[in-house]
Amino acid sequence: MTTFAIQGRCLAVPPPLDWREQLAGMLGAKPRRIGNWAELGLYGALNCLAEAGEKELPPDALLLLGSQRGTYVPTGQALEQMHDDLPMPLTFLQTQPSQLLALLAAQMRWRGHAAFIAGGTPQTLLELAAAQCGSAGVLLGWVDEMEGGGSLWLRLKPCEISGGKPVVASAESMFSLEATHLYVVGNGVQAA
Amino acid sequence: MTPVNIAGRGLACSLGLSVEQVLASLPQTAVHTTQVTLPGAMAGDYPFHAIPLSQSDWNERARELVQRVAAEAGAQQIRDGVLLIATSSFDIGAVERGATQMDYQAFADKVAAWLDWSGPVHVVNTACTSSLNALLAAQALLRSGEATDALVLGIELDNRLTLGGFAALQLLSRTGSKPFGDQRDGLVLGEAVAALRLTTREHAIWGLAGGANVVDGEQPTGASVRAVKEMCAHAFADSAVGADAIDLIKVQAAGSPGNDAVEAQGLRETFKHMPPLVSLKAAMGHAMGASGAAEIVLLTACLERGVWLLYEHEVDKELGVALATTMPQNVRRFMATILGFGGSHASVILERA
Repeated sequence: MTTFAIQGRCLAVPPPLDWREQLAGMLGAKPRRIGNWAELGLYGALNCLAEAGEKELPPDALLLLGSQRGTYVPTGQALEQMHDDLPMPLTFLQTQPSQLLALLAAQMRWRGHAAFIAGGTPQTLLELAAAQCGSAGVLLGWVDEMEGGGSLWLRLKPCEISGGKPVVASAESMFSLEATHLYVVGNGVQAA
Repeated sequence: MTPVNIAGRGLACSLGLSVEQVLASLPQTAVHTTQVTLPGAMAGDYPFHAIPLSQSDWNERARELVQRVAAEAGAQQIRDGVLLIATSSFDIGAVERGATQMDYQAFADKVAAWLDWSGPVHVVNTACTSSLNALLAAQALLRSGEATDALVLGIELDNRLTLGGFAALQLLSRTGSKPFGDQRDGLVLGEAVAALRLTTREHAIWGLAGGANVVDGEQPTGASVRAVKEMCAHAFADSAVGADAIDLIKVQAAGSPGNDAVEAQGLRETFKHMPPLVSLKAAMGHAMGASGAAEIVLLTACLERGVWLLYEHEVDKELGVALATTMPQNVRRFMATILGFGGSHASVILERA
């Protein structure tokens, strides 16, 4: 079993009305041509890191990003553009989920192991994180721009001390204000 | 630490539909590209490494290739293991043809159904480094004891979006792939389906010693020297080996004027004594998210069977590196590196038992 303490979180589902202004404030300027999904991801990750009291992600931390629909919107736009021409270069770049990993790394002044996992659930993403992360823990995000949008992030660090009585975790309870710890056990994820 | 071994492998690429076919085709590498015509501002013909399997229905073709390659790797023995699908384009070729809707989970479910898979399924997309990152994830799951068997399945199949996007970014060559070449002028993309079956339950010729992935955000579409060096250092640490223990490096060297130079510099600054280098891109093209797995399958087969690559281009002497024109003897450990979009630099180290 791996026990994680939740050090910080961002639960922006849906994001606040002024999230774009907040993001521009955090970045020092309005982001340009990175797409809505990437902007949402940046907004949530930077808020989560700030809540964890970290200015930068430690080099040996893991960054894992998941999504149900990821870059569907720019991919649809790129396919439209391809009816009679090539896609616009920046539109094509927005179809690549890994671009968000690079943007996050740049904004956090960080170089390290990051990956995008398409589909699945937040619980399966956490199970992958538990297998791969070391003592510096993981910044784990779940970002979707469709259906109102959401940017859910947790800053998790492995720990020995557990808290409360764990119960089987739904995605909602993983990303809730009540949870203080998450447990990856043989048959899934529990929260307390 | 629990050893993770490569117990099976399968491959379909422009050189053939099985490892045996690919090995048999390898000495005549230059003849295996087709031409793809793209419209618009970068209109024209581009060489492309297509898998030699004609089938008008995208999904049926993908199903046949996935089942064939997985079976070659022995996937039927481990259907309750972990399946890690590595891809940068999913089934976008089917979406383009109106044969399916864009849906990550439906894609994962479809591939799992083709393989009658009952175990957990993850889809890894880190662009070109996808299958190396899938290997690293698989290794972690196996080392942790969460599973004893895993299949890493790289899938990169015909679609216009990837070709069009790379053309729009002016990354494609119109003449051919020339890794580290003095006339290199871009990438030649290709299709591949590749499978690596990993296990902690049985011995095998090759084991996965370790590896690393370093994302550097300062170069979101290319490589950086510092990240290449950090990637190597982390891979050595994870594998508990030093630079002098590496007998061969399979480089990325996709023929990009900028990235090839960056990779060469990073390697020069890492290795006091440069090991022999090998590139497989001229033979099979750059198969994006499937390339890491596909090139490991091909290289391990080459090393075991004594088959080696022919290079028809001159290497750029200014890069300060050379490609091995004959097979290095007694290769006990090799590094396999892929550099890709998203500033991703990934490398794994394989060790002969």
